[in-house]
Amino acid sequence: MNRRDFLKGLVGTSYVVLSGSSVLAPLNALAASGAKASDGWLTTGSHFGAFKMKRKNGVIDQVIPFDRDKYPTDMINGVKGLVYNPSRVRYPMVRLDFLLKGHKSDTSQRGDFRFVRVTWDKALSLFKDSLDEVQTKYGPSGLHAGQTGWRATGQLHSSTSHMQRAVGMHGNFVKKVGDYSTGAGQTILPYILGSTEVYAQGTSWPLILENSKTIILWSNDPYKNLQVGWNAETHESYAYLAELKEKVAKGEIRVISIDPVVTKTQQYLGCEQLYVNPQTDVALMLGIAHEMVAKNLHDTKFIEGYSLGFDRFLPYIQGETDGVEKTPEWAAEITGVSAEIIRDLAKVMTKSRTQMLMGWCIQRQQHGEQPYWMAAVLATMIGQIGLPGGGISYGHHYSSIGVPSSGAAAPGAFPRNLDEDQKPLFNSNDFKGTSSTIPVARWIDAILEPGKTIDSNGSKVTFPDIKMMVFSGNNPWNHHQDRNRMKQAFQKLECVVTIDMNWTATCRFSDIVLPACTTFERNDIDVYGSYANRGVLAMQKMVEPLYESLSDFEIFTRFARIMGKEKEYTRGMTEREWLNKLYTDCKNANAGKFEMPEFDEFWKQGYVHFGEGKPWTRHAAFREDPEINPLGTPSGLIEIFSRKIAQYQYDDCPGHPTWMEKSERSHGGPGSDKFPVWMQSCHPDKRLHSQMCESEQYRETYTVNGREPVYLNPNDAKKRGIKAGDVVRVFNDRGQLLAGAVVSNNFPKGVIRIHEGAWYGPVGEDGSKEGGAEIGALCSYGDPNTLTQDIGTSKLAQACSAYTCLVEFEKYQGKVPRVSSFSGPVEIAL
Amino acid sequence: MSTETANPVNQARSTIYQLLSSLFAKEIDHKTLHELTSTQAQAFWSQLAAEASFKADVDVLVAEFAKLNSDKALLELAADYCGLFLVGTKNSASPYASLYLTDTPVAKGDEPLLFGEQHQQMTQFLKQSQLQVQSEFPEPADHLAVILAYVAHINMHCSNQQQLEFIRDNLANWLATFVAKVAKVDTGNFYIALAQLTLAWVNSDLEWLESED
Amino acid sequence: MRWLLNIWRTLTKPAQYLTLGTVSVSAFLMGVIFWGGFNTALEATNTEAFCISCHSMESMPYKELQETVHWSNHSGVRATCPDCHVPHEWSRKIGRKIEASHDVWGWLLQTVNTPEKFEDKRLEMASREWKRFDRDNSLACKNCHNYDSMKWDSMSKLAQKQMKRAAELDQSCIDCHKGIAHKLPDMGTARAPELIAEVGSGVNGLEVDQSYFTALTKPVYFNEKTDVEAGTLNIATKVKVLELKGNRAKIGIDGWRKKIGAGRVIYYDFGLNILSAQLTKDAALEEGVIQTFEEKEDPMTGLKWQRVEAVIWTDTDYLLSDLQPLWNYARSTYSDSCSVCHTQPDEAHFDANTWPGMFQGMIAFVNMDQDTQALVQKYLQEHSSTFNKSAH
Repeated sequence: MNRRDFLKGLVGTSYVVLSGSSVLAPLNALAASGAKASDGWLTTGSHFGAFKMKRKNGVIDQVIPFDRDKYPTDMINGVKGLVYNPSRVRYPMVRLDFLLKGHKSDTSQRGDFRFVRVTWDKALSLFKDSLDEVQTKYGPSGLHAGQTGWRATGQLHSSTSHMQRAVGMHGNFVKKVGDYSTGAGQTILPYILGSTEVYAQGTSWPLILENSKTIILWSNDPYKNLQVGWNAETHESYAYLAELKEKVAKGEIRVISIDPVVTKTQQYLGCEQLYVNPQTDVALMLGIAHEMVAKNLHDTKFIEGYSLGFDRFLPYIQGETDGVEKTPEWAAEITGVSAEIIRDLAKVMTKSRTQMLMGWCIQRQQHGEQPYWMAAVLATMIGQIGLPGGGISYGHHYSSIGVPSSGAAAPGAFPRNLDEDQKPLFNSNDFKGTSSTIPVARWIDAILEPGKTIDSNGSKVTFPDIKMMVFSGNNPWNHHQDRNRMKQAFQKLECVVTIDMNWTATCRFSDIVLPACTTFERNDIDVYGSYANRGVLAMQKMVEPLYESLSDFEIFTRFARIMGKEKEYTRGMTEREWLNKLYTDCKNANAGKFEMPEFDEFWKQGYVHFGEGKPWTRHAAFREDPEINPLGTPSGLIEIFSRKIAQYQYDDCPGHPTWMEKSERSHGGPGSDKFPVWMQSCHPDKRLHSQMCESEQYRETYTVNGREPVYLNPNDAKKRGIKAGDVVRVFNDRGQLLAGAVVSNNFPKGVIRIHEGAWYGPVGEDGSKEGGAEIGALCSYGDPNTLTQDIGTSKLAQACSAYTCLVEFEKYQGKVPRVSSFSGPVEIAL
Repeated sequence: MSTETANPVNQARSTIYQLLSSLFAKEIDHKTLHELTSTQAQAFWSQLAAEASFKADVDVLVAEFAKLNSDKALLELAADYCGLFLVGTKNSASPYASLYLTDTPVAKGDEPLLFGEQHQQMTQFLKQSQLQVQSEFPEPADHLAVILAYVAHINMHCSNQQQLEFIRDNLANWLATFVAKVAKVDTGNFYIALAQLTLAWVNSDLEWLESED
Repeated sequence: MRWLLNIWRTLTKPAQYLTLGTVSVSAFLMGVIFWGGFNTALEATNTEAFCISCHSMESMPYKELQETVHWSNHSGVRATCPDCHVPHEWSRKIGRKIEASHDVWGWLLQTVNTPEKFEDKRLEMASREWKRFDRDNSLACKNCHNYDSMKWDSMSKLAQKQMKRAAELDQSCIDCHKGIAHKLPDMGTARAPELIAEVGSGVNGLEVDQSYFTALTKPVYFNEKTDVEAGTLNIATKVKVLELKGNRAKIGIDGWRKKIGAGRVIYYDFGLNILSAQLTKDAALEEGVIQTFEEKEDPMTGLKWQRVEAVIWTDTDYLLSDLQPLWNYARSTYSDSCSVCHTQPDEAHFDANTWPGMFQGMIAFVNMDQDTQALVQKYLQEHSSTFNKSAH
């Protein structure tokens, strides 16, 4: 039969064509006239910066920094990729077995990625049915909707607020206290310095630059970490770092970076580095304190007038309480820092104005409370707390802390909580004798060991029996420790719901996945300049929500509708009315102090600028009059010894700062015979935690062989036959991952670095098959939390201890599997 | 519309492109299944199977239709569809032209962003023909279903030469790679057969268009 | 009565050519001159046309009124200027008229003849009106809006709760409903305007031997006359009125102090860092100000504490008879403001002495004025696990 005949044969039968409509439609008049959302420049922003974006042919074409951002981050190049990357969650989806069997589904299949598309109505009904089932069967202790984190910026669409308000209108649930970044710090410091410190505004940079003679960067990499901010960041801190660099070059300020590795900041400033063995900072500080006492360098007047309990700490330094004198020699043995240098440090820090700037990494380890406490004690002994350019800060690497604040009021947000007269559908508060609030990093413990009672910050916490989790704009499959333990826990859950814009590992381990649009597909409002609160930014919608994604406001308004509570949820206001309200409330709060135009004018303008702030010194008021301006500690003074903590009688957090050996420690510490290498998993240089890892083209600028880089010491690499670019297997008894080798002298012997935020991409244990759901799976991309330990810092904070982690690594010999973390239609041929 | 292009043969070709488009556009539900297995449809399939290069795949499809006799079976097929076309991840064969037309070395795993050049190009084609993608189909314009539907449109409205050029430059140049990807990652039989049938159909159609010149 | 208006206009129009004295006489004594028509004249001055004829209001408050429900509503009842601004009862009305003769001065001096000037004076003018409403317990409102005839069922639960509480106290409407007919003045310079709008500016007619609670952080003084400050009373602090003289009240504050420094800081109770008052050094050392009682050591800090009673003077304003409205305001502020970034911890999650550290460490992103901050902190402390054992 020739083709023409064949085709003619088909003519008769081919009208079977499906009756459904075509994917094409006539060009409508609006689009034809080109009158749809016009192309051009708009203003918006994110954690990565405030920007201007150009819309061209209906898509985001260009992203350039906001005029007032003089030090934009390179990450701006990844922003487009957040929107148009192939990992977008495009439609509401439900895991097939969950759709078929509901709460009795085979949970061991979680993570194997067999989903079905459903309509929004269906997905939201399933979501509500699951909540109904859990509240009916287990009550509020069965539901944990309290895990929240770095939601995308914007005060109106703040994803965690929407989720918690809507789920809260359905019923009560388990909540968390603390966070992964600063869990130990924010718990210990109120006892010691009377504030969380980590999230408090710090002494202004201009005063530091003017007054400090020595700056100690202790485990602190501000040049890396200031790239991102809690609000739309405008990177003003970098101007001060540039000034500092000049002063370092001229010899006007001495900057010492105390850190096992050469940091990005140190390289930028061209300052000194003092190597210290990982996790031994407390020993180093004790050695310095001993030397201060021995040489009478400490400020006894300040100690007496502003602190309590030095007398009960001194015997520990002098070895009277434990028989070990904390001499520089003793410290040298543990820390790898010579006694001579320790003695010199004591002298340097006390002889002139010294500003200590602490990073957050050292409190994310076992006993992470101790280095923060001991650093506060050192600062007290130096006696410069409350002086400009002196004392101690725990936040200058974060969100423009140290940039003088404008003093203006910032816009409020869509409410997270129920309004006062509102009651949830299921209004039970019966947590069945278990705790309604648990320390943030202990939820996996709770799922695995419900009913267990633990110590926590002076009280007891009894783990609730969690059956269902709801996450929104939150990716615990990045920030929690020990993936294989998480998998065990997730198999015990009946239902997991995740709302996100891209297929994070958390989405993949869920049952119901709902697509949220990105920041750039909705109108919102935010502060720019983070802690500087430099102005208010109009976050103008660039494009309509892609695929079937919706804004958080829309998602939960629909959800509330299903509950019959739409009006309660929105208070009868539209998105635009809310924006107007948030702005106008802010305008009213600033009336008489900061001029702000009417909303429409502001929206057209794109921003309102509040102007510069006045320099300010942290703790100056306290120093001036500690009686009238006491600290928020029990005594109102700095507590070198805390009776309150002492009376808890915690073996892992006694009444004064104490050096305690870690469960695993490199450089001769416990466990180092089997796994000799310490892995640090600090905040990434090219992402905000796990945000932007999915941005394909930008990721390719730093990956090695398509994998997350693992930074290796040259000798360590050579010993294992590894060269730059090799695929390396990093492993311990908890898990295994593949990463791409970067060999660098910035990393000392026995230390490797893999940045956290690398998307988890499990493949079968032998690497040969797709088997992501299996316990023990190999992470094909290089998520360091495949290897970290899931233990609390101590009975006090119960915070995460990701930095207490030993590993071994080798050149990977097996067949290299594809990276399964992201979209992957293109085979990676190796 | 010229009488030359609107002849019954072109109509038949257009219908087949339209059918293929619909099958790639969304999951098969009860209604679609009913239509695909009606008496007339059976006649159509057997006519299609008369062509040797289509027979194997048509047979598979017809056999698969027969197995779709429960909600669960339809859901399993929907899950296959979802894994292949709706989630960009390990098992996926995303149906976007841009992903298969990249010049960058695959070893780097570098992928173009969606809604990129090919999307713009297709949007332009559609616009020229006074068409746009349905708002109920919120996908980039370089989605396979859009391209197939557009071919169905030009079958009726453009000269053979124009059709030939469009198919060669915008469909045939990546379809084989896509089909290979589906064959590699599909865990079922249906979409492999559908993809292979599409490729065979497009190839034979190209041959026919060339021969008609 | 048009003739009267016309006379009024002729009298006042060429004001710039008349001496101030002449016009002043003309102002409200006019009614007396036309003795026979006193009541008639008064009525004339009581119409809207009269008000707006010289209040230069066409552009400002009158226009604002026209956009409110008091101008246009379902029932077709319209409130005009005098309905709200002139008392309906005769003696009060006369008082108000005499008071209003000040307005004539203002009009003459062109105090508010531009929108800018009007805005500058708006708060002052509004405050005078609010005070007046407060004084007569919002009588003008209650002529139309009666607590007794309110339809409770058609209100939201929240409105019901608040309205019922207000009804029980026969509260002045304007306590909550400021800005209902005209634009709310820019209160940016006033302290904690939203808080004060919610809880009111204090009880009228304090009584000796009664206890009250501070609605703001208030200065204290050495005696009933001096302006020399002797320290500050913290917000939401309980004080007992011992004596009243003019605008000052002599008050007693019970509490505990730490025996460090000059012992100037008085706390709520033993071992609890809940601030009640801070005195200047001079005040703390002044004979008769602080009476001291027993001492105890705080086991948590090792510091000695001493029970004290302070006696000092303060202004009679911003003293409330009830603490609950302050707590209500604090609770909703805490719930709204502290949940912007994260879930706010339950009040009882921390103890009274841990809250200051947690709260102070988290307020960088929170919009609260000093008074509200102090109130919220105190609210958290007094609702902490120290007092509420049901936590966890």
